[in-house]
Amino acid sequence: MNPLLLFLIPILPLFGGVINVCFGSRLPHRLVSGLSVAAVSGSFLLATLLWPLGSGEGTRVVLFSWLKSAGFQADVGILFDPLAAVMTLMVTGVATLIHLYAAGYMAEDESPARFFALLNLFVFAMLCIVLADNLLFLFLGWEGVGFCSYGLIGFWYRNSKNASAGRKAFIVTRIGDLFFAIALLWLFSAFGTVMIEQINARVAELDPLLLTGLTLLLLGGACGKSAQLPLMSWLPDAMAGPTPVSALIHAATMVTAGVYLLCRMFPLVSLSPTGMAAIALVGALTALYAASCALAQREIKRVLAYSTMSQIGYMFLAVGVGTVSGAMFHLLTHAFFKALLFMGAGCVIHLAGGENDIYRMGGLKEKSPQVFWLFLVGILCLAGTPLTGGFFSKDAILLTAFAAGDGFYATLWGIGVLTAGLTSFYSFRLLYLVFFGTARQAGQGHAPSPLMLWTLPPLALLGLCTGLLNLPHLFGGHEWLTLWLGQPMAEMLPVGTEIGLLFLMLIFFVGGWVIAHVRYRTFPGDEQAGWRSFLLSGWQADRVYELILLRPYRAICRFCWQGGDKALIDGVMEGLARLCLHWGDYVRRLSNGQVAFYLQGFAWGLLLIVGWFLLASVK
Amino acid sequence: MIVPLEHVLYLSAILFLLGLGCVLARRNLIMILIGVEIMLNAVGLTLVGASAFWQQIDGQIMVVFLMAMTSAEVSISLAMVVYLNRRKGTVDVRAFDELRG
Amino acid sequence: MATVLFYLLGLVTVIATLLAITRRNPVHAVIYLVNSFFALALLFYLLGAPLVAAWEVIIYAGAIMVLFLFIIMMLELAPTPEADRMGPTWWQWLPVLLLALALVGCTLMLIGVDAGVAQGVPRWYATPRDFGFALFGKYALAVEVVSFQLLFAAVGAFYVGKPERKRRQKKEEGA
Repeated sequence: MNPLLLFLIPILPLFGGVINVCFGSRLPHRLVSGLSVAAVSGSFLLATLLWPLGSGEGTRVVLFSWLKSAGFQADVGILFDPLAAVMTLMVTGVATLIHLYAAGYMAEDESPARFFALLNLFVFAMLCIVLADNLLFLFLGWEGVGFCSYGLIGFWYRNSKNASAGRKAFIVTRIGDLFFAIALLWLFSAFGTVMIEQINARVAELDPLLLTGLTLLLLGGACGKSAQLPLMSWLPDAMAGPTPVSALIHAATMVTAGVYLLCRMFPLVSLSPTGMAAIALVGALTALYAASCALAQREIKRVLAYSTMSQIGYMFLAVGVGTVSGAMFHLLTHAFFKALLFMGAGCVIHLAGGENDIYRMGGLKEKSPQVFWLFLVGILCLAGTPLTGGFFSKDAILLTAFAAGDGFYATLWGIGVLTAGLTSFYSFRLLYLVFFGTARQAGQGHAPSPLMLWTLPPLALLGLCTGLLNLPHLFGGHEWLTLWLGQPMAEMLPVGTEIGLLFLMLIFFVGGWVIAHVRYRTFPGDEQAGWRSFLLSGWQADRVYELILLRPYRAICRFCWQGGDKALIDGVMEGLARLCLHWGDYVRRLSNGQVAFYLQGFAWGLLLIVGWFLLASVK
Repeated sequence: MIVPLEHVLYLSAILFLLGLGCVLARRNLIMILIGVEIMLNAVGLTLVGASAFWQQIDGQIMVVFLMAMTSAEVSISLAMVVYLNRRKGTVDVRAFDELRG
Repeated sequence: MATVLFYLLGLVTVIATLLAITRRNPVHAVIYLVNSFFALALLFYLLGAPLVAAWEVIIYAGAIMVLFLFIIMMLELAPTPEADRMGPTWWQWLPVLLLALALVGCTLMLIGVDAGVAQGVPRWYATPRDFGFALFGKYALAVEVVSFQLLFAAVGAFYVGKPERKRRQKKEEGA
C-alpha cells in the first residue's frame, strides 16, 4: 500500500471544505451536505484501510518540504504511528457519524455551505494535529481548530450571545496557544528541530529544569484547547453552537487535542516529575470542579459540557500518572459516548420543541423510547456503570493513580473517586429529569429525522463495547490497546486490592445513582438555592475572571486610553498643535506683504552673518 | 597698490551700506532699485580692489559679469515697475501687499 | 599722488551716493548717482582696471541710469512742474556742483598719477589683451551663460512690459 495515500486522509476533508467554501452557496442543500459527508467518510475508509501502516514504529511520509532554511526544516509530513492511527480512526469515524447527523440536523438551515465547509475544515485541522510529524505542522492544525471552533460556535452569529461565545472560545484557547507557541520555539532552540520523533528521542539530553518549564508550557497549551483549569470557561459557553458542532468539539476534535498533544510528547513530559504532578493535579481538580458544576446545571447541553470537562480532567490525570494507554482508552470511550450523548441531546431538544432547560422537559420516555434507550446507554457509560466502556477506562486511570503510591497521588485518586460518585449522580439526574416524571415542556416537539436517529446506534454499540479494547487482566482481557500503543502494561496490584478498589468504585456509582433516584425520580420542582446558583455559574468562574483579570485589564486599558493615549499623546500632540496655532498667529503677522519689511529681514540676516564673522575673527 | 586693501574695502562697505539704507528706507520702487544698483557697485569696487591686490584679472572679469547681470536685472525690474504702476497707478511699495498673511 | 586721489574720489563717491539716496525727486537721485558712478569709474581706473572703468561709464552711468530716467519720465514720477515752478534755488544745486567739482579735480589729479607711472613706478594694470584672453578663454562658458541671461531678460522685460489688453488678446487668439 502506498504510504502516500495517508495524505488523502486530511486532504479529503480539506478538499470538501474548500469546494463548499468556493461553490457551496450555489449548490443544492443535499449536495453540500452529501459532499462533506462523503469527504469525511472517505477519510474514515482510508484510515481503516491504511491501519496496518501504523503498527510498530509506524510510518513516516513526507509530501514536500514546507519551510527550509539553514538548520531549520519543517515538512508537510505525516507520522502514522500507533497513537496517531488510533486517534485518526476515532476522529474520522466519529466525525463521519456526526456529519451524517448534521446532514439531518441542519436540513432546514439557511447557510449549509458555510456550516459544512467549516465542519470539514475542522476535521481537516484536527487531522493535521493528529498526523503531523513535526510540531510546526501540528501547530498549524492547532490554530486551524481554534479558528474553525470560533466560526462554528458563533455559527448563528445574528444572536450576539452566540457570537460572543465564539469569540470567548477563540480568545481563551488563544491564551493556551501562546504557551504552546513559546514551548514550540523553546524546543526548537533546545534541539534545533521541530520533528516530534527526534525531539522525543533526544529528551534525555535536556536540563531537568528546562524540561519542567517545557512541560508546564505544553500543559498550558493543552489546558487551553482541552478546557482545563484555569482556561476552562469557554467550553460551557461553546454550547451556543449547533448541536453537531458541540458533539464534534466535545467528542472527536478540539478538546481531545490537548490530551493528544501531551500523549504525543509523552517521552518529554514524563521526564519531569514536577510537570507530571502538575498535569495530574490540573486534571483531578478540573474533574472535580466540572463535576460539581454539572450538578446544578439546567441546560441539557451545559450538563454535558461540564461532564466533558470533567472527563478530560480524568484523561489529564491519566497522563499525569504516566499511563498514555489509560488516557487514550478513556479518550476513545469518551469520544463515543459523548458524541452519542450530544447527538442524543440534539434529538431530545427536537422532541422537547426546542427547549434547552431540563427542568422544563420530562416524560420524554413515552414520547420516544428509541431516543430514551440510546441516551440511556450514553448516560450509563458516562456514569461509569460496570462493564460499559466508560467504567473500564475510568477504572484503569484510577487504579494507576492509586498504584502510583505516595500521598499526593493518593489524594488525587481520592478526588477521582469522589468525582466518579458525582458523575454518577448528575448523569442520572439528567436522565431522570429529561425522560421521567411529567411532561413540563411548553412547545410541541417533533420526532428527530431518521438520519439523526440512525447515527446513534453505532455509537451506542461502540460506547458499550469499547471496554473490550483494553480489558484488564482481572476480567480476563489482554489490554490490547496498551499492546498496540507499545506502552508498558499497568502495574499489577494485588488482586485483592484491585477488587477492593473496584468495589469502592461501585459503591460510589451506586450511591450517586441512588441519591439521584430518590431525589429526581419524580420532579422536585424548581430549585433555586444559593449554592445551586454558585454551581450553576461554574463557581462564579466568569465573575472571578472578571475580578482578577478583566477589571485590572480594563483599568490598565482605561489608563492607557485616558492617561496614555488621550492625556499624554493626544495632549502633547494637541498641545503642540495649539501652540503652533497660537504662535503661528503671531508669526503670520510677519508675513504682512510689505516688501520693505521683507527686505529688512534680509538686512537683519546680513547683520547676523557679519556679526558672526566678526565674532569668529575676534576670537 | 596705491592704498591698502582695507581702505578699498572700507569704501565699498560704506557704499554698500548706503545702498542698503536706501533699499530699506525708501518706499519708492525706483529708489529701492537705485539702492540695489549702489550695492552692486559697491561689490564691483570690492572685486576690482581685490583684483588689484592680488594682481589677478579674474576680479575684473567678475565685474563685467556683474554688469551684464545688472543690466538684465534692471531691464526686468523696470519692466515690472511699469507693469505694477499700470496695475495700481503708483510705485509705492506699500500698495503692493497682496501676499499679506 | 594716486593715494590722495583715491581718498578724494572715495569721498566724492560717498557724498554723491548719500545725496542720491536722500533725494525726494527720483530724477535728482539718478543724476547724483551718475555723479557717483563717474567717481567710481575713476577709482576703478586707479585700481588698475581701465576697461572696467570705461564700461562703468558706458553701461552704468550711460545705459542703465538713462533707462532709469526714461522710466521715471514715462511714468511721470517726478514732481509736477508746479512744484518746481520757481526753478531750482542755488543751494539746491550746490551739492551737485561741489561733487562735480570734486570729480573734475580728481580727474585732473589722475593725470598726475599717470605721470607718476611714466616716471617708471611699476604699477599693475590689466591690459585689454589680458582681459580679452581671460574673458573669452577661461570664462567663455560664463560669457555664453550671461548672454543667454541677457536674452531671457530682454524677452521677459518685453513680456512684462506689454499692456495687459494686448496680452489678453494674444492669449485668446492662441486659444
